[in-house]
Amino acid sequence: MRRELRAEWTKLRTEPGAGWLLTALAVLTAAAGAAVCASVTCPAAGCGHDTVRLALAGVQVGQAVAAVLAVLVAGGEYGTGMIRTTLTAMPRRGAVLAAKGAVLTGVTLPAAVLAVLGSLLAGRLVLPGRGFTAAHGHPPLSLADGPTLRAAAGSVLYLALVALLSLGIAFAVRDTAAAIGAVLGLLYASAVLPLMVGDPDWQLVLWRLSPSNAGLSVQATVNLDGLPLGPWAGLGVLVAWTAAALAGGGLLLRVRDA
Amino acid sequence: MAPPRDAPAADRALACDVMETTIEVAGLRKRYGPTLALDGMTFTVTPGRVTGFVGPNGAGKSTTMRVVLGLDAADEGAALVGGRPYRSLRDPLRHVGALLDAGALQPSRTGRNHLLWLAHSQGLGVRRVDEVIDLVGLGPAARRRAGGYSLGMRQRLGIAAALLGDPPILMLDEPFNGLDPEGMVWIRRLLGSLAAEGRAVLVSSHLMSELEDTAGHVVVVGRGRVVADAAVADLIAAASRDRVTLRTSDRAAAMTVLAGVGAAVTVSDRDTVTVSGVPAERVVGLLNAGGVPFSEVAAHRATLEEAYMELTRDAVEFRAASGGAAR
Repeated sequence: MRRELRAEWTKLRTEPGAGWLLTALAVLTAAAGAAVCASVTCPAAGCGHDTVRLALAGVQVGQAVAAVLAVLVAGGEYGTGMIRTTLTAMPRRGAVLAAKGAVLTGVTLPAAVLAVLGSLLAGRLVLPGRGFTAAHGHPPLSLADGPTLRAAAGSVLYLALVALLSLGIAFAVRDTAAAIGAVLGLLYASAVLPLMVGDPDWQLVLWRLSPSNAGLSVQATVNLDGLPLGPWAGLGVLVAWTAAALAGGGLLLRVRDA
Repeated sequence: MAPPRDAPAADRALACDVMETTIEVAGLRKRYGPTLALDGMTFTVTPGRVTGFVGPNGAGKSTTMRVVLGLDAADEGAALVGGRPYRSLRDPLRHVGALLDAGALQPSRTGRNHLLWLAHSQGLGVRRVDEVIDLVGLGPAARRRAGGYSLGMRQRLGIAAALLGDPPILMLDEPFNGLDPEGMVWIRRLLGSLAAEGRAVLVSSHLMSELEDTAGHVVVVGRGRVVADAAVADLIAAASRDRVTLRTSDRAAAMTVLAGVGAAVTVSDRDTVTVSGVPAERVVGLLNAGGVPFSEVAAHRATLEEAYMELTRDAVEFRAASGGAAR
């Protein structure tokens, strides 16, 4: 396993696209969060916004970058045929997937930390100017606040989980474009699907099954009782999706011809 | 058996000689949907010589190599390298060096970095990478993006990757593709010297002529099975049998005389014909009796290409006939 890890790490750091995508993950997440914060106002006390969630809204953009990074850099060897070189050098296929997952997690986590810290900083700078002041019931964002820290840490994990989910799908689908389409469809279409059904029971079920709706409930800091799933239980839904994708992708990788 | 890496050097060398240097393919059968790609493919590659693996496109050469490397699983049969299934090897590139598809790399990575990750996957360092870059003559191009390489440079990079682990067994799929004449000469010499060092070298090609001066032994395949497995010298001798090259200034008269005794005569040049079915002495006798002038009668020496054409044509005809009978 050490050799697989070392080889996959060498591959990733010698792929010029990886650095750009990781930078884009951090910058786009923070920039989108800042833009969302700049678009809302709080003219008086009790305007009812979840400022932490507003500041971290850019994660919904960042997840697309994390997915593209995972599919292109870690899973994109099928387009060139390099997967056959990889599996000739490292015939233990389970170890190859594990090493790719570990290296991908290892680079996504620091980028996600920067993305989240940048988002919170942007929110802290932008929100007071939009009326989110202590006088209106919105103290400045701070990681010293328990729920804010949980939302921040949860968002970092969310981005890493999306990357791993995408890796599993990439190995199941074996085509870059199809894999990116499948991941983005799963993340974004499942988020709006509950809005398209009338029946409230089905709405609730679909919401709870959606990896992005359920997963992003980890960002909530107000009205927790009103959420269909608690913050960590919601992230657990994404964990289940990720585990299923990795298990499915890993199984197919082991049994199929390369 | 002790793993080779822990054994003393002498024991390890011995183990290499005795058991590590063969490819054994036995009864491989593989179906892709409606196509039967391998139909009982069986042969053994022995060390110390270049074995050509020849057959028309679609004969099953690449599929066999993929099965040997554990990339594709055979429906039936077994493929062993050094007596073991490929997927059970630790650091497999130290046992088998393979070039399957020279384009199978990430175009944005430099050639040197491509070799570097491969080296790291086998516990090798950057020194070995620079050694193989020198060995294949990639030179300064190694630090450029592999996506910009010509096909010939990609072949050199692929061969560098195959040599990375200094393996006792080499398996190259169509390594001559895309090489310029200088590259062809280079690779012929390289393959010859690798075999002379005691390695088992299997080289596939769909053009027999590419292997004529390189391979000492050929495995000829057609439609997923072995058609011939023989020394090159024997194949040429078999194809040359009972054929006579005749040089004459009166081709028409010679053909009339020879056709009269049932010999098959084909025109090979303005004043040269190839006669088969009649031994050389009898040809001389007939021409003298008929008063036909000739300047040369010699036993015909077939080229490897001719031998190959004969073998594969038989395979195709046999298949066509048996296929027709089955229906």
